[in-house]
Amino acid sequence: MAGSLKGANLFYIFSDAVRSIRENLATTVLTALTLGFSLSIFAVFVFVFFNLRSVINSWGDRTQIVAYVKDSPDAALMREAVMRVPGVSSAEFVSKDKALSELKAELKGHEAILEGVDENPLPASFEIRVGGSYKNPAELTAVAERLKALPWVEDVQYSREWVEKLSAFFRFIELAALFIGVFLAAATIFIISNTIRLTVYARREEIEIMSLVGASDSFIRVPFFIEGVLQGLIGGLLALAMLAGGRLILLSKIPPYFSFVVSSPISTPLLALILIATGIFMGVAGCLISTGRFLKA
Amino acid sequence: MIQLFHITKSFEGASALSDISLKIDKGEFIFITGPSGAGKSTLLNIIFGSEPPTDGQIILDGRNYFKIPRSEVATLRRRIGFVFQDFKLLQTRTVFDNVALSLKVMGVGPREVRNKVLRMLSFVKLQHRANFKAMSLSGGEQQRVAIARALVKDPAIILADEPTGNLDPALSIETLELFKEVNSKGTTVVVASHDKNLIERFGRRVIRLENGRLVSDGR
Ligand SMILES: Nc1ncnc2c1ncn2[C@@H]1O[C@H](COP(=O)(O)OP(=O)(O)O)[C@@H](O)[C@H]1O
Ligand SMILES: [Mg+2]
Repeated sequence: MAGSLKGANLFYIFSDAVRSIRENLATTVLTALTLGFSLSIFAVFVFVFFNLRSVINSWGDRTQIVAYVKDSPDAALMREAVMRVPGVSSAEFVSKDKALSELKAELKGHEAILEGVDENPLPASFEIRVGGSYKNPAELTAVAERLKALPWVEDVQYSREWVEKLSAFFRFIELAALFIGVFLAAATIFIISNTIRLTVYARREEIEIMSLVGASDSFIRVPFFIEGVLQGLIGGLLALAMLAGGRLILLSKIPPYFSFVVSSPISTPLLALILIATGIFMGVAGCLISTGRFLKA
Repeated sequence: MIQLFHITKSFEGASALSDISLKIDKGEFIFITGPSGAGKSTLLNIIFGSEPPTDGQIILDGRNYFKIPRSEVATLRRRIGFVFQDFKLLQTRTVFDNVALSLKVMGVGPREVRNKVLRMLSFVKLQHRANFKAMSLSGGEQQRVAIARALVKDPAIILADEPTGNLDPALSIETLELFKEVNSKGTTVVVASHDKNLIERFGRRVIRLENGRLVSDGR
């Protein structure tokens, strides 16, 4: 860059930036608003994605293997053996009696079906859940095979189809989210850089004149840089305010069991930091890129 | 101080200057004249570095350029006071700010800026307009702001493109007297003008351009 920034310059540069923000208040506010809206739309998308993902993961938690066992041995011992199978995260014993009473409850009003059955025909069983990394179909099959190998296990049932569908659905959601995310990010960057380009374009004459009277590139750029930082800061804070406000409004409108949808996957200070840092980064990058276009000539 | 060797300039094939060689000594006061479209502005712009020549070379301060490198343009421009034909003022800023800008970019402190700008504004008889926005001034007043901005930094070289084009005869003479005074303190002055009376009155070296060619050089 031609010419260094001497001490006396800093005074002008700062007062110039302040004056220029005052003079271009409308465009500064417009840019900050655009930044704020774009950032919060993007943040909402990221939230919804993470929250959906955790919902889908919790559905996955319900995938169960049911192992039917012979009646005789001690339930506590059997449970220990089941729990030792790698991948099993919990196992609940359902005795013959419990199975029958559950069936009776399910058949309420149609108890006639059970008439004439004097001995309990239902086997005892374990309702088994598998841990996180074992939820994919292949691992689930392996767990089921190991359970079947236990001597007192008569049969193992699990819905391989359901698990496969679930994980395929999840892969689809992730892919769709990636696609939408990239699209949204690109749109956000495009809108912001365009807004900033317009404001710089409106001031190209100012840039030209400053350069004609001997201003160094840094002398010209620094006010735009400071404006970019301020616009980004305001935009980031706006996004934060909009997200917080939107969340409060939604919380009062939707049933409580749905409130997980608007919960933030990260802590509020971290979210604030990310939003403001992204805002400043975009504001500064936009300003530098668009002033660069006029300074290259 | 300024030397041009076989400078040629064409805009999209149309020739604006052809084969201009010229030597301007330090402390000289010269006029460049010629009809409209002869290439006066183009010549000044090439010396100023805002327009690259198509061919030829320039020596400025003993350094040889084809095109002045970008890294040196700003430094060079701080030593040259250019009065633009179309003024190039910041229309939404005050007269004071416009003149102050050429000192600020050099890192001159606020107090010195204030003193120098106010004194220069009184030289061009605009002290009462200091806080007016440039766009509220008449053409002649804007021209004097442009002149003040060029002179306030005590430049080594003044390049003035039709600096009296919007001034009445009395103010034109006063402006050139101002240039003469600056010149007497050692500043090299190059004035492009097609005002025959004015040029004759000052009796300096005159370079005449016609259709981009140097047709005469003398008093
Ligand atoms: N930026 C430009 N683009 C195209 N042609 C130009 C440009 N500047 C000047 N010219 C042409 O170059 C010639 C010389 O112009 P100029 O130097 O402005 O003349 P003068 O200042 O003597 O009136 C003219 O024919 C003009 O049309
Ligand atoms: Mg001209």
